[in-house]
Amino acid sequence: MSARILARAAAAVTALVTLSGCAGWGFSTGGAAGTVTLTYALWDPHEQIGYQQSIDEFEKIHPNIKVDIENVPYNSYEQKITAEFITGGAPDLFWVNTPWLGTFVKDGILTNIAPLIKANHIDMSQYYPQLVALHSRNGAIYGLPKDWDTIALYYNKDYFKKIGLQVPSDLSWSADGTGSFVSFLKRATTDTSGHNALSPQFNPGKVATYALGVYNDPQSGWGNYVAELGGKIIPYPYAPFTSMNTSAFQQGMSFLTGTLTNDHVIVPGAETGPNANGNNLLTLFTQGKVAMWEAGDWNTTTVKSTVSFPVGVAMLPIGPGGRVSVFNGLIDGLNSHTPHPKQAWELEQWLGSARSQAILGRGGYVWPAIKNLDPLFQQYWQKQGIDMSAFLTEAQGKVVNFPVSSGMGAALTQIANDLGPAWLGSASVSSALRQASNDANYALKTGN
Amino acid sequence: MASVASVAPSATSESAAGPRTAPSPRRGLRLTGYYLVLLIIVIVFITPYLFSLFAAFKPLGDILTQSPARPPTNPTWANFKEIFTQYDFARYLGNTLMVTVILTAGQVIFSMMGAYAFARMEFPGRDALFWVYLATLMVPNVVTLVPMYVMFAKAGLLNTYWAIFLPYTLGVPQAVFLMRQYFMTIPKEVMEAARLDGCSESRILWRIVVPISRPIIITATLLAFVFGWNNFLWPLIVTNSNSLNVLSVGTANLNSNFANQWNLVLAASLVALIPMVILFAVFQKHIVRSISLTGINR
Amino acid sequence: MSVAAVTANVGKHRSSAAMPAADRRRIRTAFAFLAPSLVGVGLFLVIPVVLVIILSLTQWNLLTPIKWVGFSNYVNIFRFDGFGHSLLVTAYYVLLNIPAQTVIALGMALLLNNRLPGSAFVRIVAVLPFLATPVAMSVVWTWFFDPTNGIVNQMLAHVGITGPAWLSDSATAMPIVAFANIWQYVGYNMLFFLAGLQAIPPSLYEAASIDGAGKVAQFRRVTLPLLRPALLFVLVTGVIGSFQVFDTVYVLTAGGPGNATNVANLNIYNTAFQGFRIGEASAMSVILFLVILIVTVLQFTYFNRRTTYEIA
Repeated sequence: MSARILARAAAAVTALVTLSGCAGWGFSTGGAAGTVTLTYALWDPHEQIGYQQSIDEFEKIHPNIKVDIENVPYNSYEQKITAEFITGGAPDLFWVNTPWLGTFVKDGILTNIAPLIKANHIDMSQYYPQLVALHSRNGAIYGLPKDWDTIALYYNKDYFKKIGLQVPSDLSWSADGTGSFVSFLKRATTDTSGHNALSPQFNPGKVATYALGVYNDPQSGWGNYVAELGGKIIPYPYAPFTSMNTSAFQQGMSFLTGTLTNDHVIVPGAETGPNANGNNLLTLFTQGKVAMWEAGDWNTTTVKSTVSFPVGVAMLPIGPGGRVSVFNGLIDGLNSHTPHPKQAWELEQWLGSARSQAILGRGGYVWPAIKNLDPLFQQYWQKQGIDMSAFLTEAQGKVVNFPVSSGMGAALTQIANDLGPAWLGSASVSSALRQASNDANYALKTGN
Repeated sequence: MASVASVAPSATSESAAGPRTAPSPRRGLRLTGYYLVLLIIVIVFITPYLFSLFAAFKPLGDILTQSPARPPTNPTWANFKEIFTQYDFARYLGNTLMVTVILTAGQVIFSMMGAYAFARMEFPGRDALFWVYLATLMVPNVVTLVPMYVMFAKAGLLNTYWAIFLPYTLGVPQAVFLMRQYFMTIPKEVMEAARLDGCSESRILWRIVVPISRPIIITATLLAFVFGWNNFLWPLIVTNSNSLNVLSVGTANLNSNFANQWNLVLAASLVALIPMVILFAVFQKHIVRSISLTGINR
Repeated sequence: MSVAAVTANVGKHRSSAAMPAADRRRIRTAFAFLAPSLVGVGLFLVIPVVLVIILSLTQWNLLTPIKWVGFSNYVNIFRFDGFGHSLLVTAYYVLLNIPAQTVIALGMALLLNNRLPGSAFVRIVAVLPFLATPVAMSVVWTWFFDPTNGIVNQMLAHVGITGPAWLSDSATAMPIVAFANIWQYVGYNMLFFLAGLQAIPPSLYEAASIDGAGKVAQFRRVTLPLLRPALLFVLVTGVIGSFQVFDTVYVLTAGGPGNATNVANLNIYNTAFQGFRIGEASAMSVILFLVILIVTVLQFTYFNRRTTYEIA
């Protein structure tokens, strides 16, 4: 009996082994002669549609190169790409966001394309210079800039018409709580009986609509206010420590978690989401419970498809250091261990080119990194009824780059966790900043 | 060492060793109480299987609106079809079967060979080496995870089928120990006689020892198979591509991506659970007997 | 070759270092038999233990060159990675899980150790869960304890109680994890106790009752001491396993809410395979190893201090 069972088991296993394919056993399969298939990883399903259109064009021009787009969810993107790189199976090209740009550079995951740029005479001055600087280090460049983002205020046009308020473009604030911004916010906050926050009958316990939703985020939230006070998360790119324990940070954070919260003009931290991470703000904005949502321009498609009222975009208020927005952009990283470096470079070049970026701009998917293509994106959204000039004006004004350093992703997670209590009111800003500083310093130290 | 025949716990048979209760007027009441407790026990242990079985055959709407205790009104295979085709569970099932069978075969055969060597063969350093094996029994799994990952990474074997079963296929101390204890109860004379007749050691092992050791071999096979089938953490860290997923990893991924689609998620769980239920039903006597064979009453 | 001939040859050739061919062949065969498991143990158990200690002294992410940092990882995992909290949370889990599981298993063994009709069936039903894939079973529990769709809160609602969000409430999250483990292994542990109970000769009970001992005294003086081997086995294996809990936590709570169920093994997993901090994860593994070792040794010492009884 046991011999029969063994024979049957052996037969079953042999069948399964043959069916399992070569790849799982470590033998690489050769493709059809001549054609190379590249893998291209990204995470945004909206933008993926635009990229597919661009890839279709690319495949027409390069009939011997096929591109498979792989959607990797954002939450585990950095780990997945890293793990795949370690096992030797990472995609040939993949989106790189600034939190892990520094880590990928240090770990040698990205190819330095500076020599290829020179050899192909690519004109880097067509891109926003801040983006080129963001993705360069000591003469090396790690990707061709392909898009950019700034932060502004989406606002509910119906609500402001109802309360008879115009949204000005030159509001200003200062750390002591004075300025046109705060009084505007007060006028824009209404309680359930219709009184705004300037009125003596205002009931802070029964707010119907908060004027502003801003949250615990270094890019879309406090980062802009701290920048307008001259504060910097890290003193210089690739710094192995933070510079958060400064008065700029103290004042910027206190302005939000203290002044504005106590004036009841912004959504209380706890209601924006766990650790005040802002997850609920889109819902609150849609429900009309918050009049202005401070967010990045990549949210436009979601906003358009979710809300039922006309949407306007206002610029950030002007702080003591002027109007500053955090500025960020993605690149397509070129896998330094790709088995198809020539073909991968063709794709990289294409995606950094005006022809590809025009497709993405024209379809309203992203602001193109090539400066003179910006109007395409703006015109698309103009037709949809949303005026995106606020984002563009900020981009052409004063901006501060998203911080880049090795270990930045882990540091930012720590900062968010440690600053949360200040937003929830359970810790003072100074103690939260100190904790965040310590933990972020450790994350950057071990990352470098 | 406890001998084989000594203590067979009679979960299946009906022998009793506890004190007898004398018949009394209160006996009826106590008996009712006893069976009530038994009913509760059965409910506690059966309902998770039963309810998830019901739910796997219901469409999501029914799961959300009906009571879980209600059998499906219109049982449907749709959930299973969806996870097998759209979510690749057919592949995961195949993967799991393949690596588990390989793992089990290797583990049992190689552990058996080692156990026989320790039990009935003479060679220098035998006892010292056996102590090393015993010592490694004390090493918890978690300690070896990170270094083994590093080893496989440097060997270029990450994200392959090899990585999933190799650490467990060459023989493990638990199985070696288990079978060695058993082999030690086979009288030496049997082996000596065979050697005198000119049998080679492997003939002795395969033709003489194995047939009379069927209980322990079945036990070791069951333990290895169940371990391989249910293993989660190691396959999770060692594989990246979805095509290499085993059932446990596939189920966990499906759950984290589609947590509220109970119809799919419970159907996936069932694909992992049902084969073990069948295994249990078929081998239940052996599983129970395995307790005595581990010799805990030394 | 006869035994006598072999032994005669051994004596003859002793002056030369060579052994008789038969003995050499037997030793070669022995090592051939041992070879696979020897490679397995050496490669996958011994070397990793040495390697993890070495790795714990490094800072490494598998991609960049190894950096040697001495013992600083052992400090940093407590200062920055919350490993101290993980150990506490794991110990809490062990305390919730093992005593309850042992008592219930023993109780069920005592209860079901009879020939009444149906008892055999119930014994079998109780053992069935031990084969369940923990990940799959945890999915079922997530459904059972779902605040709106789960059977538990639905049943509570029938009696007018609003059940908590079991897995999102830090007070109930870990008890649910413990419950899942108890449910799965209590039947299997019951078998060990049954085996132990059935090894106790009835004559001992008869002698005790003749001496005037009641049921409770019999349990304390006869049953419990003679169950000591079974008790030791169940406790030791249970504790060692519980300190390494992972699958259930990963699916049920992922370490949440907050850090309430961020057990040691989960922390190691996140540090090593999400954060790629190999050195720190190795230090965590070493510490966990030591904790398990110490607890096991303590258990053995406690049990060995009591005298054992000889059954004549």
